[in-house]
Amino acid sequence: MNSRRIRPGVIILTLAIAIVLTLVPLPLNLDLLRPYWVALVLIYWCLESQDQISLGMAFSLGLLLDLLTGSLLGLHALSLVILVYLMTRFRARLRFFPNWQLALSIFALLLNDRIILLWIISLRGDPVPSLSFWLPPIAGTLLWPVVFLLLDRARGAMRR
Amino acid sequence: MVTGSSGTDTKIFGPAAQTARLMLYGLLAVVLMAMDQRGHFVPRIRSLALYLVEPVYHVVEWPVRAARNIFGQFQSHRSMRNENETLKQQLLRQKGVLQRFEALSEENRRLRSLIEGAEGQTFEFQYAELVRVDLDPFSHKVVVNRGALDEVTAGQAVIDGAGVMGQVEDVRPHFSTIRLISDPNHALPVQINRTGLRTVAFGSGETGVLKMPSVPRQADVREGDLIVTSGLGDRFPGGYPVAKVSGIYREEGQTFVLVEAVPLAALDRGREVLLISTPDVAQEEGQDPELQDGLEDKSAPGEGANQEVDKPGAEEDGVEQNGAEPSEAAKVVGGEDPG
Repeated sequence: MNSRRIRPGVIILTLAIAIVLTLVPLPLNLDLLRPYWVALVLIYWCLESQDQISLGMAFSLGLLLDLLTGSLLGLHALSLVILVYLMTRFRARLRFFPNWQLALSIFALLLNDRIILLWIISLRGDPVPSLSFWLPPIAGTLLWPVVFLLLDRARGAMRR
Repeated sequence: MVTGSSGTDTKIFGPAAQTARLMLYGLLAVVLMAMDQRGHFVPRIRSLALYLVEPVYHVVEWPVRAARNIFGQFQSHRSMRNENETLKQQLLRQKGVLQRFEALSEENRRLRSLIEGAEGQTFEFQYAELVRVDLDPFSHKVVVNRGALDEVTAGQAVIDGAGVMGQVEDVRPHFSTIRLISDPNHALPVQINRTGLRTVAFGSGETGVLKMPSVPRQADVREGDLIVTSGLGDRFPGGYPVAKVSGIYREEGQTFVLVEAVPLAALDRGREVLLISTPDVAQEEGQDPELQDGLEDKSAPGEGANQEVDKPGAEEDGVEQNGAEPSEAAKVVGGEDPG
């Protein structure tokens, strides 16, 4: 498993790209479809690296995301910590899933994340969001193969 | 205990230690959120930390700006000419409207001098562009490209070409964050332009709807009525259009009707905004907002004759309507008419 050690630079770079993708403006109403990029990238690195993604890292990354997106401080932190926890917990099983099952699990993870967000929204007493609230997990799952392949490429290129 | 176990288990990653850490971080996040929501302490840390992350906005915005510039280079000569033509026409039309405005404001000044009222203050407008950065869609905030270095201060009102957009919340050196009027936590003192009825417009969480829950049942409200800022509350200058009434919901047995209105400003798709500043925003901080209701009785011509000029309907009930910035009005009086 020691070959699985991934250079931290790669992880940081891909996460930074994910953050930029989170902030970059999209035309029309495409931003309703915007997947949770940071979560997708984190999921990938959780799958592929042994234990390089720690909960503390997820937490601080979440705080950074909170600051940048202007959301409630701790919102993304909570969601990413739970995500990484679930990933490390079930990593061994997920790694041997066939692709379609893996995609389904990722859909479940993203959906779970949305449910947590909904819980926080209702705790704040904000109005219940419209149906488009549930689009990002779908978009995220559909984009997962692309993310997976691109990150695989990036990792391969960096190793050479 | 938790820290101890995580110290020894960094290699092993026992499920128990991992769960303990999850609990710890989860708790921390929840506490942070609660404190942020309540406004304890955390908002101040947040605005400090925003200085650190500001460069990220530059990074995100740069390619978009560059792309737009390049696109602008290739825009055809003809479409430019067309655009120029329409802009010219538009300018002419606006000028026509403004001419009338000049006459009206002159008339207003004359009438005010008749009743020995003070001159209303003038506002300064600062042009700003929305930074092409998408924030959390549930946060009802936007970022504009003017900041502390451009003398933007928190609390300034923000409008676009059609109506009121929101107010400045956080200020950083080059950017500032604006809270939109559609935020559920935002309340805006308004009045119905036709009748002068004052009320408060709350955000609904959707960019297309404002809610006014406290309109009396027997009040005269109709669909299509224009809602303007009332100038109460010392933050938004009076008389700026806010929304158009879109629905009135009367429930049996309720004292109030719920009025819904559609904001006029392009909250979710605008690009250029104006920041309104009164020449000395700093002084108004010390002013007691309660002052405004008692002003009329106290007003000796010199000091307290604080009236607002540029507000439709001001003649109807002038007492409650002298909204914005008593200090400023007083300063204007002091400057021009020391008596």
